[in-house]
Amino acid sequence: MSASDAIAREAGAVTDKSDKPVLRLDGICLKFGDKRVLNGIDLSVVEGEVVVLIGASGSGKTSLLRCINLLNVPTSGSIVIDDETLFDRQADGKGAQIPAQEVNRIRSKTGMVFQQFNLFPHMTALENVMEGPVIVKKEPKEQARQKALQLLDLMGLAQHVEKYPRQLSGGQQQRVAIARAMAMQPKVMLFDEPTSALDPELVGEVMKAMVELARSGMTMVIVTHELGFAFEVADRVVFLDQGLVAEQGPPAEVLLHPEHPRLKSFVGRFHESADLLRPFLEAREAEKAC
Amino acid sequence: MFDYTVITNNIGLLWQGLLMTLYFTVITIGAGMLIGLFIGLIQLSTFKPLVILGQVYVEFFRNIPLLVTLLWVYYAFPIFAGINVTKFWAGFIGLSCYVGSFYAEILRAGVQSVDPGQTDAATAIGMSYGQRMRRIILPQAFRKMIPPLAGQSIIQMKNTTLLSMITVPDLLYQASYISSFTYRPMEVYTAVGVIFLIILVPLTLLSRKLEKSGSLK
Ligand SMILES: Nc1ncnc2c1ncn2[C@@H]1O[C@H](COP(=O)(O)OP(=O)(O)OP(=O)(O)O)[C@@H](O)[C@H]1O
Ligand SMILES: [Mg+2]
Repeated sequence: MSASDAIAREAGAVTDKSDKPVLRLDGICLKFGDKRVLNGIDLSVVEGEVVVLIGASGSGKTSLLRCINLLNVPTSGSIVIDDETLFDRQADGKGAQIPAQEVNRIRSKTGMVFQQFNLFPHMTALENVMEGPVIVKKEPKEQARQKALQLLDLMGLAQHVEKYPRQLSGGQQQRVAIARAMAMQPKVMLFDEPTSALDPELVGEVMKAMVELARSGMTMVIVTHELGFAFEVADRVVFLDQGLVAEQGPPAEVLLHPEHPRLKSFVGRFHESADLLRPFLEAREAEKAC
Repeated sequence: MFDYTVITNNIGLLWQGLLMTLYFTVITIGAGMLIGLFIGLIQLSTFKPLVILGQVYVEFFRNIPLLVTLLWVYYAFPIFAGINVTKFWAGFIGLSCYVGSFYAEILRAGVQSVDPGQTDAATAIGMSYGQRMRRIILPQAFRKMIPPLAGQSIIQMKNTTLLSMITVPDLLYQASYISSFTYRPMEVYTAVGVIFLIILVPLTLLSRKLEKSGSLK
């Protein structure tokens, strides 16, 4: 993608984005046994916003993402998705008790893409994508089928709809996984290192699909180590450190002028290892300055 | 030497015994599967008391010799419960509960061997516990369970021979009856062994085939 492309998108994006929060996390704390993993995370994501979560290994990125759809149940805090409370428990144990059925319904307003794809191995690509709409939303099969075919086509998988996951490459599997999540028409898409398990030559095709998704106005929260992607696509980069939001802001600020010492070394490591990026980033800076 | 007439003369009794053996094999495997499904799912629930109840059941029936269970259900249970238990019911209950405990373990192990990522993915698209189990977890678990289920069911057929100890006229009971008046136990028990081989070897081969086609799919 060219720089001008990205800028044009940014210009458009500003008008596109409303201030309506699709996702609001307040004071999310999570413990595994005695181990405190998240220590009070506040995060609000507005419609159409693309948020990239970065942080060192073990800083709690996966844990936070899994809290958003309650795959991990926080120790305390509250989660509101699309104006509906999914979770609410104060530190003193008080809060709203949300029935399991409601939890399942609200949680299906989020779509999740996993590092290991987690496709259903006993179903074809098409069946994987239809499963949610047919079983959870009780949509008529034919309608779900048409929609699934459309989504798979968008993901560039028209030729592979009848294949089983094991017959597909990692990149193709991950795109099926994206289609499967999209089929539920989520309000927000969650990605946990979607390209980390892929061979390098397959990373691009998945990234491309995600860029397109972002351009279509999808709200996204993405955990990734691909800082180039964050720079190009994110509206906001959030740096997690020891279960807390240590720094956040527009990618250019956070990635080029980090303040937090650990973010400095974190970003520095990436920049050093891919020093090729630096001239490019600086050129972008200059371009923006004019 | 080997006197075939002992068998040919008493083929009717052996046939009756075989039918009884097959009958008990089929009905106790059927009931055992229901028990196994129930107990297995209980063990997989997140409600601690239920989990413990399931474990107690499994350890109880798996660790007590089947013969003791059968004798206990037939002789002791009626005394405690104050109801009359026929030998058929005693055999049915004892054998079903016994094999059910093994099936429950097979189910539990099969379900737990499914990648937790599958549960995550199913949960993430909004599936309920029941939908997850039915659509995602059990279909994958069953495929892995075919070989141990087949193995346990074959053992179950052999285990029905213990029914003779509570005088249910199964194949082994008839064999000992025939030997008691022909004084030719060697011929009779050889015949019983051959009958089991003829039935179980093809079934073993079939289960291997199922296992292959299951893993292919
Ligand atoms: N199920 C669990 N039980 C116990 N501890 C856990 C569990 N899941 C995560 N943790 C711990 O929580 C901490 C945060 O883990 P998490 O996976 O969220 O980190 P991360 O930022 O995603 O790291 P990575 O970049 O390696 O994926 C780690 O110290 C981890 O060991
Ligand atoms: Mg992680």
